[in-house]
Amino acid sequence: MRTRTRFSRMLVGGVTLGMALSLSACGDDGGSGSSDGKIHVLVYGDATNKVEKAVVAEFNKTSKVKAVLDTIPGATYQQKLQTIINTPQAPDVFYNWGAGSIQPFVKAGLLMPLDDFIKDDPKLKSAFLPSVFNAAQVDGKSYGVPMRGTQPVLLFSNDKVLKDAGTKAPKTWDELIDSVKKLKKSGVTPIALGGGDQWPTLMWFEYLYDRIAGPDLLEKAVGGDKDAWASEDSKKALNKLKELVDTGAFGTNYDSVKYTDGGSPALVARGKAGYELMGSWYYSQQQENAKEFAEKDLGYNSFPTIDGGKGDPANVVGNTNNYYSVMKKTKHPEAVAKFLKLMYSDKFIKQQLAIGNLPTTTNTEKFLDTAADPKYARYQFDLVKKAPSFQLSWDQAYPQSASEQMHQAVQQFFNGSLDVDGFIKAMQALPTA
Amino acid sequence: MRRRPNYLAGVAAVAWLIIVALPLYVMLSATVQSKGDYAKGSPLSWPEHFTFENYSGAFDEGFGQFFVNTLIVTVAVVGIVVVLVPPLAYAVVRSRSRVASGVFRLFLLGLAIPAQAVIVPMFYLISEAGLYDNLIGVILPTAAFCLPISTLILSGAMRDIGHELFEAMAVDGASPRRMFLQLVLPLSKGGISTIVVFSALQAWNGFLFPLVLTQSDSTKVITLGLYNFQTEHGINVPGTLAAVFMSMVPILLVYLFARRALVQGLMGVGGK
Amino acid sequence: MTTQLTRAAAPVKSSGRKSGRARGAQSADVGRPGFAWAVPATIFFVLFAILPLLAVAALSFMSWGGIGDPEWVGLDNWNRVFDDPVMIKSIWLTLLLTVLGVVLQTPLSILIGVWAAGTQRNRAVISAVYFVPLLLSSTAVSVLWRALLDPNFGIPSEATWLFGDGNLFGKQTTAIGVLAFVSTWQFTPLHSLIYQGAARAIPQVLYQAAEIDGAGRVRQFFHITLPQLRNSIITSMILMVVGGLTTFETVLILTQGGPGTDTTISAYYMYQKAFKSFDFGAGAVIALLLVVAATIISLIVVRLSGYDKMRSTMEGVS
Repeated sequence: MRTRTRFSRMLVGGVTLGMALSLSACGDDGGSGSSDGKIHVLVYGDATNKVEKAVVAEFNKTSKVKAVLDTIPGATYQQKLQTIINTPQAPDVFYNWGAGSIQPFVKAGLLMPLDDFIKDDPKLKSAFLPSVFNAAQVDGKSYGVPMRGTQPVLLFSNDKVLKDAGTKAPKTWDELIDSVKKLKKSGVTPIALGGGDQWPTLMWFEYLYDRIAGPDLLEKAVGGDKDAWASEDSKKALNKLKELVDTGAFGTNYDSVKYTDGGSPALVARGKAGYELMGSWYYSQQQENAKEFAEKDLGYNSFPTIDGGKGDPANVVGNTNNYYSVMKKTKHPEAVAKFLKLMYSDKFIKQQLAIGNLPTTTNTEKFLDTAADPKYARYQFDLVKKAPSFQLSWDQAYPQSASEQMHQAVQQFFNGSLDVDGFIKAMQALPTA
Repeated sequence: MRRRPNYLAGVAAVAWLIIVALPLYVMLSATVQSKGDYAKGSPLSWPEHFTFENYSGAFDEGFGQFFVNTLIVTVAVVGIVVVLVPPLAYAVVRSRSRVASGVFRLFLLGLAIPAQAVIVPMFYLISEAGLYDNLIGVILPTAAFCLPISTLILSGAMRDIGHELFEAMAVDGASPRRMFLQLVLPLSKGGISTIVVFSALQAWNGFLFPLVLTQSDSTKVITLGLYNFQTEHGINVPGTLAAVFMSMVPILLVYLFARRALVQGLMGVGGK
Repeated sequence: MTTQLTRAAAPVKSSGRKSGRARGAQSADVGRPGFAWAVPATIFFVLFAILPLLAVAALSFMSWGGIGDPEWVGLDNWNRVFDDPVMIKSIWLTLLLTVLGVVLQTPLSILIGVWAAGTQRNRAVISAVYFVPLLLSSTAVSVLWRALLDPNFGIPSEATWLFGDGNLFGKQTTAIGVLAFVSTWQFTPLHSLIYQGAARAIPQVLYQAAEIDGAGRVRQFFHITLPQLRNSIITSMILMVVGGLTTFETVLILTQGGPGTDTTISAYYMYQKAFKSFDFGAGAVIALLLVVAATIISLIVVRLSGYDKMRSTMEGVS
């Protein structure tokens, strides 16, 4: 058995080698992995890396084993991680989205369960909000420590546009439909949507399913129960959504609008649309891009309740947090444990708050006044803390390999090329864990 | 020789100029606006307040180091291509050997290999060779993937060298080496500068190989650094475009410089 | 004279040294390089491009998700790929976009290349600008065109008579149109540059002679310029076809294969399979199909055009 897998491995790696075959016979090490008395920390490379840089610097002040921060350009992070994770070049600690994003690695036996670390230092678990911490558990074991901020999805609005149309932010679904009709009459696009990016569209599905069917449906579906998608609740949610699309709530050209190039937030900021459903990062985005609007007219609300729905109206969906997971083969587990402890240190929490992130430790509350925007930070924190369930974005709850097909189905349902049954079939075809 | 000016061509040329220049204008005007100003106007509007914060921001993100790395990679790749391709193209065009025409087909096949397709084996190759996270590990595959197009272009250029010139030298008793040095190289200057430009472009804008084959900041190239301006869900169009523009300037200079060589080389052919 | 004679003796000797190919064909082989000239580049290329490709070929018979060990599955991946309706659709889309690319870019880049070959100073300046799109990374190209084509704030909002509600990326026909246009924008400079170089190399005497014969500009173009550009047209067409078959970045960034799978071309589908779904086996199959298709098409172009025979006809003369 062993020789066979070895052989096929050699074909993939070794066929390329001709020359280097003799080298590979000498063994598998080499490369810059964990053998050099350092721990490598791999993170998603973007403009918020400064906090991670500061944490590493802080750690290196006292630790004999030094940490090295490696950043991978954002959009390609997953591709690179998948390429190196089972090679000597794998990092010791790496950034991920919890749940579905680490499940394949857990299955392949690559990750270290953190339960021993937690036994030695219970605060590694107890210092974090349970709903967030638990999102990185697989098969009852903990594999991740929260390391950035939580990002619930909220219904943002341009309150001036709402007022001009004679409506206000909705508490219930019926109010939302009514508000959409009034906005449409007043000549604006009721709801801005960056359909070109596909994931903003998905947020609408997430909330409708959560409100109508409750969080169980998705849990079952991700667990492999295909019937969950064909349930009555599922159909009801889809029909409600269809109804909303058909009233023209999103206009006609949403598939050509992107969030990521500033198209959809500009619609709201410039008074051409009333609402946008987006992650909590939207707030700071508008602060930067449209300060005047953000200070005067930007409203934020939780998603409306739906009569007769099974989900608790206090539930939220979104990105629970990002996590650090640890590779089983790290040579310096003690150093890694020490590094992870910094994730609940006061200093780290303050640094996160200062750049607009909302860390999810239980004592975050104490420091909310130091946040970039204390009022907004408190609103979010209360929302997350009180939520009975925090539904992880579908594309993160499912294995990464499902996300492309999921995004396609979502887009096709919105533009009418998939009907309710077609959508259900597409979701049933997704790979589960 | 005097020729009438060609008005029709002139009009068409200007029309195409507008199509090409419009996005470039959008880029330049975005880079000198603050994020807020950019979000306020249309992409086409003239900047209200000029700012250079986007450019200084790029340097704060470590662009200096990335520049140097990219330069090393580019120079090395161009070096390899210029050393390897002319003899190859010479053999493809002039050799009677069957092997040489087989080689040409091999390179035609190589033209069609998408880098994405071979990236995983490439990763194993480079790490087994101990070149992971090392600029050499980026240079070698990048250069290899420049070879097919360079060979195609240069052998095209060499085919245009008049047959009688070779004949004359053969009568003169010149060795293949002498023909190469004294006839082929001087007459394919234009083609060589074209492949210099192309391979420099490939190396400078290369993304996939550096992405998968390097990891630390000390080996990062510019294309990877462009992402330092974005956040996972964020928008910073002016910052990104400023970085794009800055990364474009050096290669534009290379082109303008090589352009003169290109013109001269080709005029050499015409003058004979 | 004497020096010429003595020199003439040398190559005969050297060709005799070459692996026993001195069968009386000396005169044609005189001064011709042996295949040794091609060896260094070939070794380098085989090592860093062909061998990885062979590994991909091996992968196409394995099931592998990037982690764990690959397993032999025989023809399983191949069967799956050929049974996949998205794959079949992607082949048609690929062909459509490739043909569109050739049809749009060839005339345009010939015209631009020939025009830019003129020695006037303003042409030099303008053609330098033409070249710039080639310098931009695909990320930049996408950000720019996405911004320009935003239905609410970009060009479509200024010209609603032409663009309607501006939903260019929401419908298959317009999405394909945008893709074809943007790649034309991005890659025409490359081809113009090739034609510019070639047009400069056309001997001026040909035009002078035509002028004397009273041939107009249009006739000159069709009777002198075009035939003289033959080699370049072939080179450039091969590049366009191969580029059309393998480029996926424009799709990745502009449409992500959407709406739905309406612009999912094969190369993008390969990328999706390999790096989004981590189904490296299926990705490898599609990659091989692309390589084979592109190679066959370029060989056909070479053969039909007589690109490789051109040499032998000339040699027949000698």
